[in-house]
Amino acid sequence: MNHYMVLKKKDFNAFIEKLSKKMKVAAPVRKGVKNFAFEEVTRGDAISRVSLPTILPPKKYFMPQRETIQTFDRAVPRWNSVVSENDAIVIFGVHTCDLSGIQFLNAVMGTPPKDANYLARKANITVIGLECNDYCDAYASCKAMKTHLPSGGYDLFFTDIGDAFMVQTGSAAGETLAQETGFFTTADTGEQKKLGNIRKKKEKIFKDEISVKYANLRTVFEKTVQSEVWEDIGSRCVACGNCTNVCPTCYCFDIQDEIDLNLRTGRRVRVWDGCQNEEFAKVAGGENFRRKRGQRQRHRYMRKFAYPMEKYGTYACTGCGRCTRTCMAKISLKETIHALGEEAKS
Amino acid sequence: MTALLESPYEVMAGKILKTRQWTDLEKYFEVELPGRKDLGHEPGQFVMISVPGVGEAPISVSSSPTRKGSFEFVIRKAGGVTGMLHTMKEGDSVGIRGPFGHGFPTQRLEGYDLLMIGGGCGNIPLHSLITFVLDNRSKFGKVDILVGCKTPETVLFAEELKDWAKRPNVRLDLTVDRGGPGWQGKVGLITKLIPGIPTDPQRTCAVVVGPPIMYKFVIQELLKKEIPDDQILVSMERHMKCGVGKCGHCQIAQYYCCREGPVFTFKEIRHFYEAI
Amino acid sequence: MGKPRVAFFDFACCEGCQLQVANMGEDLLAVLGAIDVVEFREVMSEKGEYDIAIIEGSITTSRDVERIKKIRQKAKVLMAYGSCATIGGVNGMKNNFELDHIRRYVYKDAAKYFETIPTRAVHQVVPVDYFVNGCPIYIPEFVKALKCALIGIPYKVPDHAVCVECKLNENECLYDKGLTCLGPVTKAGCNSWCVNHNNICYGCRGMVTNPAENGARDILEKYKIPMPWVENKMNMYNKVREHDEKEEAHGKKC
Repeated sequence: MNHYMVLKKKDFNAFIEKLSKKMKVAAPVRKGVKNFAFEEVTRGDAISRVSLPTILPPKKYFMPQRETIQTFDRAVPRWNSVVSENDAIVIFGVHTCDLSGIQFLNAVMGTPPKDANYLARKANITVIGLECNDYCDAYASCKAMKTHLPSGGYDLFFTDIGDAFMVQTGSAAGETLAQETGFFTTADTGEQKKLGNIRKKKEKIFKDEISVKYANLRTVFEKTVQSEVWEDIGSRCVACGNCTNVCPTCYCFDIQDEIDLNLRTGRRVRVWDGCQNEEFAKVAGGENFRRKRGQRQRHRYMRKFAYPMEKYGTYACTGCGRCTRTCMAKISLKETIHALGEEAKS
Repeated sequence: MTALLESPYEVMAGKILKTRQWTDLEKYFEVELPGRKDLGHEPGQFVMISVPGVGEAPISVSSSPTRKGSFEFVIRKAGGVTGMLHTMKEGDSVGIRGPFGHGFPTQRLEGYDLLMIGGGCGNIPLHSLITFVLDNRSKFGKVDILVGCKTPETVLFAEELKDWAKRPNVRLDLTVDRGGPGWQGKVGLITKLIPGIPTDPQRTCAVVVGPPIMYKFVIQELLKKEIPDDQILVSMERHMKCGVGKCGHCQIAQYYCCREGPVFTFKEIRHFYEAI
Repeated sequence: MGKPRVAFFDFACCEGCQLQVANMGEDLLAVLGAIDVVEFREVMSEKGEYDIAIIEGSITTSRDVERIKKIRQKAKVLMAYGSCATIGGVNGMKNNFELDHIRRYVYKDAAKYFETIPTRAVHQVVPVDYFVNGCPIYIPEFVKALKCALIGIPYKVPDHAVCVECKLNENECLYDKGLTCLGPVTKAGCNSWCVNHNNICYGCRGMVTNPAENGARDILEKYKIPMPWVENKMNMYNKVREHDEKEEAHGKKC
């Protein structure tokens, strides 16, 4: 399915408005001074079409920060599984880095035993991607992680070609959704050419941002598990947990029970959790298997660059740059990889 | 549009048939599922036990799958869920999810001489394997059991240990770290007992379950006896929360302890800087 | 089984936490359905027997010490709530000064009538079963801890940073706005209440137990924030922590 359509920019507002009457539409909007966040919108002009990644990635729609997975009644006692039937939602403005994040989560949650809650939500989500014609900022490493160009994970994919969006269809559902709004026309050769030019220009703009080659990343990380780089990072990290919460491919969670004030009924919820948090690897007896912050950071990196290769055949880093951008201590992904790469050489 | 998948978090209601306070911290439970449904576990596997409103905790099954109809746990009081379980009695209900993970590879162990070493709480999952082996005694070679506990008061399965020790085809040694009034048995670390056991390393499988500190020293002793690293089995303790390889809490390097473990060969984990 | 009798007591504090309880709205009715309140100064006054004692305020006089010991003896369960009771709170600022000096500074000629001791959190004087940190308490957390007390399970104050909850709420980081916030070193559990409302975190819930001193220094350097300034900010709520550090050998923690 490689069908190209065009949406005129003048129709963009009407397109979003029409869509939002049919279902929920979420898109990046300005949040505060320097940031953006995916939020529900009803108008196209509320959307920020900037390339800077949002504070949280769109994973929050697939796996919300808090989600009920069960209800219980202590009096019986009985547990009922809850697999929410969420409303249909379109997520507009998902950049290629985040598309690759969603693809990774799909692989993890679709691996048996499958995560019913995640998959039920996914079934009701339509993803509309949006190309970055230029870098968001210097923290991104999407070229190095090969995520700067679209390669699936979307129902529709938008590229800004000036006075219009070139729209690539990625699924039958995406195509139907576009056709139903009535704003899309088939792309002509002139528009095709404009897209080609943008991609050519991107080749010049986007350069490998990290000093280790894609194919060598795993080996570098496997060779440097005992590196002093981890000690150094450990001494700088404050374990605020920002890096894992904002990561598009972090999916660790905690399971907690909440009881109502009648002390009888309640629910079991899952809440995002992260390996940087103090209590994450503690067992009931009190032993903490990753007591040092350096060990926790190493674990986070290994989960991006070493372990998933074996399990899912891909890296779990999308190059979005969020972890570096949000780090209180300015621990930089690019610098870390560079330092490890240098060490692996010797 | 909703995927009609069963939630991996589905809980079965189990009923407590019998309880007994064994030590200050450990309590014994016998539990059955509705209709006396078989749990279908292997020795060394664990289940998630739910107390509604409190949460879930990973607990090793202490009984052998050769004993049908019900199953057993010995639960140490360590947190909210286990604390609450200690207040429960016959007839009460608990939630059961599982069994999870890879237990001891009982088929692979067939024909081998077994050296089973348990320290403290580790004797609980090991009890499942020992019972299984004794129920299928002819399938295995020589059976040596080493049990280590902190003090005489904390010895688990005391009655059964006496019974096992009397069997002609079992060699059992029990030691405590600190003796006490009336204790006539051995005193000292479990590692001291290993050199004295005659072993044919190629024919021997060692199974070690205990606290992290014990692994370090016991495994050294076993390697000294030249038991190959893929014939040394260990069971790792981590904080399993989901049991289905997703939540990340129990991860050791790339392994999810709840899926690929909790039983590993020493060969699998010896190079993992995070394991022991 | 009757409803557990709950008594609220206050020591050196502003009674703001009791006010939070009185103002909790609809939840209050549900709470009152689950417990019998036998002592509550903000809305009633009655002496009686109780199962759960909920303590607000710090221990600042030797009379306080005697009184809290008596309450502890009588109560089956004791909950400390609010920063003053759990971590010493703003009353701890007194510990920055020499006692006699501060007493004369406050009470002038009448100082001799006002006996005083260094400020202590409740757990530094008697054992505490439940902690609900915060100035004031965050009502959903208080209700959560109360439910734990009612069903007899422990409640543990989260030991990770406020940042964790703040990110889940997708707030813009206050450092991105050029403000200094104590979120990275303060215990979570308040759902980043202040930051959700555009205020900085003042550290009112106490420091995480394993704070990264080096890392925190790096952050200050990065944002060019003077150390004494932050120490000042930190000590506003956390001065009494020094007493905990001295007693760590006893395994006491809040």
